[in-house]
Amino acid sequence: MIRWILGRLLQAAATLVVVILLLFVLMRLAPGDPLSRLVGDRDLAPGELELLRARYGVDQPVLAQLRSFVAGAVRGDLGVSIEHHPDRVTSLLASRLPATLLLGGVVLLLNFTLGIWLGVGQAVRRGSRFDRWTGRLALTAYAMPGFWLGLVLVAFVSLRWQLLPAAQMTDPMLPPDADWGTRLVDLLRHLALPALTLSLTSIALTMRHQRAAMLAVFRLDYVTAARARGLPEQQVRWGHAWRNTLVPMLTLLGLWLPILVSGSVFVESVFNWPGLGSLAAQAIASRDYPVLLGTAMLVSGAVVLAGVLADLGYALVDPRVRPS
Amino acid sequence: MRIRRLLIPALLCSAASAAAQQRGNDHGSVVIIMGQEPSTPIPTLLNGSANIAVSDLLFLRLARPGPGLTTTDERSFEPQLARSWSRRDSLTLVFELDPRARWHDGAAVTARDVVSSFARVRDSTIDPQRALLLRYLATVTAETEHRVVMKFRRAYPGQFYDASYHVQPLPAHLVEQIPRGPAFATSEFVKNPVGNGPYRWVRRDPGRQLELQANPGFFLGAPKLDRVVFLTARDPEAQMNLLLDGTADLFEAVPPVSGPVRLARSPSTRLLTVPSLSVLYLLINQRAPGDRQRPHPILGDVEVRRALAMGLDRLNLARSTYGRFALPAEAPAAQAHWTRRLVPGGPGYQPAAARALLARQGWVDRDGDGVLEKNGVPLVLRLSIPATSATRAIMAPQVQEQLRRIGVRVEIVRLDFPVFIERRSKGEFDLDLSVANMDPSPSGIVQSWSCAGRAGSNVAWYCNAALDSLLDRTIYTRDGSEKSWRAAYAMLQADVPAVFLASPANSIAVHARYRHVSFRPESLYGDLWRWSVDPARRIARDGAGAPSR
Repeated sequence: MIRWILGRLLQAAATLVVVILLLFVLMRLAPGDPLSRLVGDRDLAPGELELLRARYGVDQPVLAQLRSFVAGAVRGDLGVSIEHHPDRVTSLLASRLPATLLLGGVVLLLNFTLGIWLGVGQAVRRGSRFDRWTGRLALTAYAMPGFWLGLVLVAFVSLRWQLLPAAQMTDPMLPPDADWGTRLVDLLRHLALPALTLSLTSIALTMRHQRAAMLAVFRLDYVTAARARGLPEQQVRWGHAWRNTLVPMLTLLGLWLPILVSGSVFVESVFNWPGLGSLAAQAIASRDYPVLLGTAMLVSGAVVLAGVLADLGYALVDPRVRPS
Repeated sequence: MRIRRLLIPALLCSAASAAAQQRGNDHGSVVIIMGQEPSTPIPTLLNGSANIAVSDLLFLRLARPGPGLTTTDERSFEPQLARSWSRRDSLTLVFELDPRARWHDGAAVTARDVVSSFARVRDSTIDPQRALLLRYLATVTAETEHRVVMKFRRAYPGQFYDASYHVQPLPAHLVEQIPRGPAFATSEFVKNPVGNGPYRWVRRDPGRQLELQANPGFFLGAPKLDRVVFLTARDPEAQMNLLLDGTADLFEAVPPVSGPVRLARSPSTRLLTVPSLSVLYLLINQRAPGDRQRPHPILGDVEVRRALAMGLDRLNLARSTYGRFALPAEAPAAQAHWTRRLVPGGPGYQPAAARALLARQGWVDRDGDGVLEKNGVPLVLRLSIPATSATRAIMAPQVQEQLRRIGVRVEIVRLDFPVFIERRSKGEFDLDLSVANMDPSPSGIVQSWSCAGRAGSNVAWYCNAALDSLLDRTIYTRDGSEKSWRAAYAMLQADVPAVFLASPANSIAVHARYRHVSFRPESLYGDLWRWSVDPARRIARDGAGAPSR
């Protein structure tokens, strides 16, 4: 088993290296001046652009830039951001990651608790009014673009009814020495709308998967046998049937895990949530190569790691896929 | 006697309580939304309007232009770090520093700080842009602790402006300890700057906000607002929502068309306009796209350029793009420039004359498809715009339609901002819609419209030696006069290196509870320290007082 895990991790590392190299080359091939934000609409002195290029190392040949990037990455240094100069990429990622993990984590938690519970409920009451209406509502929300739903929620909940703040992660005037209770309430108030937007637009996926998986299991003989033995319905449902739906749900979780890290560009933008998604979007818009590469590395790492974790999860819940 | 003994403490108590109440009433805060993050608001590291806005609250200049922004009359300037100034001769300026001026760490602002800061700025490896602007400054010396003497190589009208505006002194006792080079940008001073302005540094949360606190010992008067928070929000919807839900108090870039409609529903916010220093123009490439050795096959002909200028209705374009917030432009002189009144009237909107002019140059519509041709080549031009600019996205189709009416087909190319800049700097465009954000001095036009500027901002490679000579005389000799400015603008209009379209105003939404609100075109928040909150309209966060560091 350990050998299998090690092999899987090695594969993951190799994939990551290939992805990073590919990203590095593709970014350099894309058109656009990485100094555009610095240059903008202002007047430039003769030679100023060359000075800036040298300062940020973008005057070097691609291979030299790659060598310098790899040497830095080995030391854990991903360089200095062009747009957020003089902030280092690692410190930028570290400052944005908690916000993304918080939002992604809450959404994941809502999706995989509420979504599973509703999906099982639908399967149990198949064809009922609850099944039909829950399915319709979830699919309607799923069909809505996240940024649009976000704007609608802001228009009503924040601007018209003034119940929750429209944007930001915290109140900008919150004193730094505020007690933890005040901080927590403030954070939850700001988290509510972005988390609700992302959950509403994605919970349908978990529900539909769970419903389909449960319906498939309900037809199996061992469930009928469990019921025939007189086991309580809750035990049949959750202890026998649901456990056997874990493999497809783990697959779905594996696909969802990277979102924990990558964030959602549109929702982060609409709610001015200081996460990695909006950082990556800005980096793309300004061709801030070091930040773009840093976020891409983090997201690629999360994707690869999620794949490994999902494989491990399969092995844990289903002995049939465990390596011999 | 006894009554007196009781009365005096009572009066003292009453006076103290009134003073305390007054101080309490003076409390206030302001939360400002910015589209960019002010990550390095330090002179010589400045990039972008957000950094400049914050830097202006931390670091004063020697003097600042007066309300008319007349940059050639030193009598019109207002004292800042320098309390007075005089001339020894046409090449020598003497500044007397205000002895009350202090750095935020308590040290006095001295002539040594000024000398050291000028030395930094004049080093072209540190700040090439300002080094170029100060090229006629010969020496800066400290004559006494509070007296600075500046000698120039040439006598010209903008000497005082150059001496007082381009450099915001830094504390020599802190900055001189930092090695020159890249170490400065990552130094402790840049992380926690020590300034001399009305506000002092508190902290920056990268990607989120930057906070300043009132400097109660500010030598020109204690600021009335205790806290200033700059919030970073890039999404236009988020910016407006933060303002409308009350999280923020001020937003300086209200969308000119949709913004006023949305703000009309918010009684607590008022919309103000401030003349800007920016001009929107249609840049015309003088050279063949991708090959600067050859003239542009179509736009190299000045008559074609003149026809384009006559085919555009500036007033209509300005109104439909910016509503009431812009004025039509005829030259690179913005609303706030003192030379704007000297710009001669252009040819105006004359589509029939434009078409006739093109016909005289051999451009006629032989196949009846509405597009003019010459020697089998259709008059088709590509207009580049950055996809992120809402105003340029609104204006481009109107330019396209107006030029269609004179037989020119314009193909709009929407580009990512970095691609737009890249193509611009390589000269790979026919036309582009550009915005010039200029200095208060109109002399900045040299950088974009002179032959020497081709190594920098003059990306369309316009070059006219006669204009260079005229501008040099106008800006850098004592002969410079209003008449020569008029002549320079007229020459630019005749050559049509660009069609100057509009000069927009800054449209600023600000909470209605503030009193003494004023903005400055060259430094929007330069007077923020004079603002106060109407005691009757204070909101919860105004009573918060100063934050702990």
